[in-house]
Amino acid sequence: MVDAAQVAQWLEKLKQGSLVAADLECALQRLKQGGGQTPVQRLLYLQTNTTDLESPVLGMATVEDGVVNEGADDPDAWPYQTVLEAMVDGWRIVKFPELALAYLDPEYGGMKWEFILEK
Amino acid sequence: MEVEKYDCEATLSDGQVMDFCRKGYLMLEGVVADEVNRRTVAFLDERDGAEPTEILQQDWFVDGVVKNPQGAGAVRALLGRDFALPRLMANHRVECPAPALNWHQDGGSIITPRLDYLQVFYYPEEVTRALGPTQILPGSHLFKGYGGLLSRLRSVRDSILTISPPGTIFLTAYSIWHRRSASTARGIRNNLKYNYWRTVEPRRDWVEDPNFNFSWPANEFPPFTVRAAQMLAWLCGEEWQHAGGQGWPCFSSTPHGGDQPGLPAGLRQRP
Repeated sequence: MVDAAQVAQWLEKLKQGSLVAADLECALQRLKQGGGQTPVQRLLYLQTNTTDLESPVLGMATVEDGVVNEGADDPDAWPYQTVLEAMVDGWRIVKFPELALAYLDPEYGGMKWEFILEK
Repeated sequence: MEVEKYDCEATLSDGQVMDFCRKGYLMLEGVVADEVNRRTVAFLDERDGAEPTEILQQDWFVDGVVKNPQGAGAVRALLGRDFALPRLMANHRVECPAPALNWHQDGGSIITPRLDYLQVFYYPEEVTRALGPTQILPGSHLFKGYGGLLSRLRSVRDSILTISPPGTIFLTAYSIWHRRSASTARGIRNNLKYNYWRTVEPRRDWVEDPNFNFSWPANEFPPFTVRAAQMLAWLCGEEWQHAGGQGWPCFSSTPHGGDQPGLPAGLRQRP
């Protein structure tokens, strides 16, 4: 796959005047064969007690390799106990909780604060 | 067909009724006789559809399950005398292994302090974790779930897997959040589901304990919320309004004597 290391190598060869068409043709061939497929997005859904990043996680699910997964039956075995822990492990927040939900019908409730993260 | 009513001794105490209002469910493990469990399984093997309502015409089933002394006794406590018996029987029969279903509230759920009916489940056989027991979220009967979000939930902290011995009956408030959990074993899991209905106005005519203190509920999960308190007050036939502040049902980590401010008049130890 064409990645940062590959580009750095080409740049070095270019500076040295040794970059040849075959270097790029080889990479092009690999891309045509699928080596350049976009990595599948990984998602992490975390429902929390409040909108605080350090609020305890109440619910979780992951999407990895196109498959939706549950966590363990025992919440203590879940990979993250707070959203902050997931961020420290490299997950990026793509969706913060919908604060508008706080103003809806008070009959609604429970598990309404949800962060969606991706890698 | 005329609605058949039934009456029996109420078996729940003040504390158990209060717990039901708080949690929204009550487990009665292994209360149905083995012989009835066996006959039920045999019946369901022959009639393996989703609505084997004809089982309600079997005297052995009605006596052993529908009018089971502990099951019906709990229903009597929560719905009052002369409650109406089920007229429809559903069977959530699953060929395992099977994936989990989405979390949901059953169609027709409303959020109300009234308890006019109960949704009851019966497992005729042992249900292990591997056979995908129904999973419920205690306390969720008092909240409407956001439809789109509810179906996206998967693992939920503090949810309960109803792993049970054969002959277990569990009662739920209709609106409780629940789902079938994933199963990994091979086999059939039957789970019969039916409803009882209230026919009389509510009043505190279960097993009354004059020494039970409704005040200062414990700090536990699920909490005894204002909504749970509204349900209990309604069941007791009490006119009650939440005063707020440290009035009932404000929790406390330590037990206190005496009545809490704001406790409904009929629940006070010193009227």
